[in-house]
Amino acid sequence: MIQLRGVSKTVMSGGQPLTILHPLDLDVASGRCLAIIGPSGSGKSTLLGLIAGLDAASTGTIAIGGTDITRLDEDALARLRGEKIGFVFQFFHLVPSLTAIENIQVPMEIAGRRDATARAQALLDEVGLHDRGHHYPSQLSGGEQQRIAIARALANDPPLILADEPTGNLDSSNGRHVLELLLHVRRSRGVTLVLVTHDPSVAAVADDRLVLRDGKTVPGTSGEASEVPGTLTRS
Amino acid sequence: MRFVLLMAAREMRASWQRLLFFFVCIAIGVGAIVALRSVIQSVRNTFAGEARSLIAADAIIASNQPLKPEMIAKIDQRLEAAGAKSMRSIELPTMARPADRAEGRARMVELRAVERGFPYYGRMKLAGDVPYSHALLENFGVLVRPELLAQLDVKIGDGLRIGSQRFTIRGVVQSEPGRRLGAFSIGPRVFVDLTDLEKTGLLGLGSRAAMQRLLKVPDAAFDKLIVDLRADFANEFARVRSYKATEDDIGEDFARAENYLSLVGLVIVILGGIGVSSVTRVFVQQKMKSIAVLKCVGARSSQLLAVYVAQVAVLGLAGSFLGVMLAGLAMQAIPSLLAGATPGVEITYALTWPAIVQGLGIGLLVSLLFSLVPLLDVRHVRPSLLLRDEARVRRPDATQIVVTVLVVTGLVGLTVWQAGSLRIGSLVAGGFAATAIALHVAGTLLLRAITPIARSRSFALRHAVLQLSRPGSQMRIVLLAVGLGSFFIIGVRSLQQNLVDQFSVRMTADSPDMFLIDVQRDQVTAVEETIAAHLDKGVVAPPLVPVLRARVVGVAGRDVNLENYEDVRGRGSLAREYTITYRSKLAANERIVAGKIWDPTPSDEPEVSIEQFISESFKINVGDTIRFDVLGRTIAAKVTSVRFVEWSQSRAGGFMFLFRPGVLEKAPHSFIGFLRGPQDLEARARLQTALVSVAPNVSVVDGREIIEAIKSVVDNVTLAVTVVGTLVVLSGLMILIGAVAMTKFRRVYEAAIFKTLGATRRLIAAVLVLEYGLLGILAGGIGAGGAIGLTWAISKYALDIPFKPLIGLSAAGVVVTTVLVAVIGVMSSWEVLQRKPLATLRAE
Repeated sequence: MIQLRGVSKTVMSGGQPLTILHPLDLDVASGRCLAIIGPSGSGKSTLLGLIAGLDAASTGTIAIGGTDITRLDEDALARLRGEKIGFVFQFFHLVPSLTAIENIQVPMEIAGRRDATARAQALLDEVGLHDRGHHYPSQLSGGEQQRIAIARALANDPPLILADEPTGNLDSSNGRHVLELLLHVRRSRGVTLVLVTHDPSVAAVADDRLVLRDGKTVPGTSGEASEVPGTLTRS
Repeated sequence: MRFVLLMAAREMRASWQRLLFFFVCIAIGVGAIVALRSVIQSVRNTFAGEARSLIAADAIIASNQPLKPEMIAKIDQRLEAAGAKSMRSIELPTMARPADRAEGRARMVELRAVERGFPYYGRMKLAGDVPYSHALLENFGVLVRPELLAQLDVKIGDGLRIGSQRFTIRGVVQSEPGRRLGAFSIGPRVFVDLTDLEKTGLLGLGSRAAMQRLLKVPDAAFDKLIVDLRADFANEFARVRSYKATEDDIGEDFARAENYLSLVGLVIVILGGIGVSSVTRVFVQQKMKSIAVLKCVGARSSQLLAVYVAQVAVLGLAGSFLGVMLAGLAMQAIPSLLAGATPGVEITYALTWPAIVQGLGIGLLVSLLFSLVPLLDVRHVRPSLLLRDEARVRRPDATQIVVTVLVVTGLVGLTVWQAGSLRIGSLVAGGFAATAIALHVAGTLLLRAITPIARSRSFALRHAVLQLSRPGSQMRIVLLAVGLGSFFIIGVRSLQQNLVDQFSVRMTADSPDMFLIDVQRDQVTAVEETIAAHLDKGVVAPPLVPVLRARVVGVAGRDVNLENYEDVRGRGSLAREYTITYRSKLAANERIVAGKIWDPTPSDEPEVSIEQFISESFKINVGDTIRFDVLGRTIAAKVTSVRFVEWSQSRAGGFMFLFRPGVLEKAPHSFIGFLRGPQDLEARARLQTALVSVAPNVSVVDGREIIEAIKSVVDNVTLAVTVVGTLVVLSGLMILIGAVAMTKFRRVYEAAIFKTLGATRRLIAAVLVLEYGLLGILAGGIGAGGAIGLTWAISKYALDIPFKPLIGLSAAGVVVTTVLVAVIGVMSSWEVLQRKPLATLRAE
């Protein structure tokens, strides 16, 4: 599903180039769950952003479902995200001016689907917020907002879900519920799930773990050796 | 497309309150354009198709001297052939005074004498719904305007002395046909019977009576008759005015007035547009995260751009509709405001469809043009923003540059369209751009000047300055709009003050302030004696000046040779009728620039001294011979000198052609007089009454009344510009309110942090007061500085009057601007003071 070859990211900082992600190879097969872990500033979110096409890699190629996204322009990337990738953020990032159900409808409307309203309602039911569709994000708790974000990520039935610290901004109870929901979605839909997390308990539920430190991959501390030498650990 | 429309609708639902002032900005400008255009169009519609009523006939033959008998015969023959009817009418400025009170003061009036059957078109409307009939005028009846009743303290039934006759007031004229709108009037209108006028002695030689022949012509014969008459009068002191030409003139006058006034509205809309641009920029900044989210879930930049452009279009249109509503309300108030501006004419004021459509179009266009460039930033929002905050300084890309050029071209096009002229439109657009740049530069310099205050020990002052100079501050835009408004208001007020002061200075100087016209030769002694008896002690009246009317009908010269009047007509203003005089020496305001002045002895050989302008414009030199037609007699005079006349000191007389004594004395002529009247108002009135008693045909023009009339015109212009300036200031304040509203989220957050760190509400309030107070001082300072510069330039180069900086007025302007900006700025920031810090910090 995901294939990275020699992917790195260098940015300019104070007029000097700063490599925040060193060259990296990575393969994630369809239906797998990968946890990217590491301390703050280790490059986790950068890697996730590169996989989602939110940011451009400085070197290397990134293929999603066989499509080399490094060759795509902004519009093609947007289309690819709409069709193939669902994104869940630590800070939810719901559009504050839209109601919960409208937030879920948006990706389907962009894709031109006619059944957006009915399907958004079904997704609301699936995440357990049947009667909260007409509330604005500011009227929902953090846990509820994250569940709406998950429903939005599922709107176009993407084969890949990317989640950046999905429980990082929630209390433990809400965090547990959100994680269960993500795992449930993964099981029931067979999607590929990539999670960025600090939390070892969240990482523990993943099939594979990628550990980053200072922008470099390091061997994992638990599980089996990775399929890609030196980078992945497998539960 | 569906997504674009759905998103635009949803976004608007959430943000319309924040963008409320966006459409208020547009509304004020659109309201101004629609109201101004509607007023002019209403006036035009009132007159549309009524050109005949405007001149009360199909055509008028007008002349300011009696026509020769052979011309009259020819006219009669032409009219008979065309099956046309005609009647005579005479217009004449003269004096009127109460007939039954010896002490009653005299007033100048615009007399119109008419025959039975007047008017052919339109109708006379009298007060109290009294039907008009010629019988009201016959046998020395007079109809007067209501203002004359008040001025002379007379009423219907009282007697009025005009010339040598006593008339009885038989009615009050509310409106009349044949009265041109906005024409300068030297006195109220009175109507008398033409036969009676002939008995008043007012039509003597030198009378300024305008003779008219009103024609009613069958349609089929109309065009031919007019062409024939014009050909007949080509070389005569008469002209033929048809209702069709009047219609064209009026059409052009109104179109010009409408376009000029619309430019005023456009300036306000453009200021609103600048506000819109500023709001849009802040709006996009606030929407960055939402835009990133939408891009993250698959939205393309073009789709998002379309979402926001659609919002702008809807808001622009909503603002324009609000503007139309405001204009509708303004139109309700117009009749009472403009009642005095159109005496004698009734106009129904209403919004007109063309004005509404134009207003809506302009509102929409300006909204789109001004928001397009800031909206292009939507393209640069990267979805990775959701993963980490990134601040990038972008240089404008090619698209932005191209769009900016297109927008500027669009705005210039809009201005040209509104001005109805490429030249004026370009000038206004250029002027506006130059002013905006000047204000922007002034703002930047002032800001730099106050930067050292940021090192002040006072926390409040330091932070007030920092707030003004921080990136993203809306200060410059507020400075531009509020500064421009106060510049208009202070500028026009100081100009008015300078002008009025100048008039007063001239009047208090030892110079003539009363003018006598139409003194007949046999009245000269009596008039001079009357004047001498009434003047203040020590004041000596200069002798009366002889005047004749003459026309140049030929020039035989070194550089130019004009055989006949037809040739002269080809030289433009040389063909007009001139007032000429004769005297033995130069006046105080004259000097010779070529040739030499004659010796004081009279001569039978005609000699003329010409004014420098005539010499330069028509290439007439010393030694050339000019042929004049003086009351039908041709006089060939040799040019013996060229004079320079200081026209600004010409109230003691200034003449283009001055003759050597000896020739013109024999021709019939009248006299005029310039004198310094008594300074006491009662004594002035007594002199006027005494003069009218000894010479009833003489008109006595009081310079002070003329100054009052000019003052009232200046007052009206000042009022109009002040209204415009107020609207501009209002737009500026709206922009200020908007700027505060748009950046409030940041201010609330900062205030929360300050409060957490121990700042009291009082301290934060002090920061706000100082910040907006400083902004107000800067805006007022820019306005006052610009106004002083403008007044200086206009006084020096356009009006040629001494310049006096009005420090008090300018200071008052700065204070008012400061207080306004400070009050509105602080009031709009109320939430910054009120919000509890914890709630704010949690929300962040």
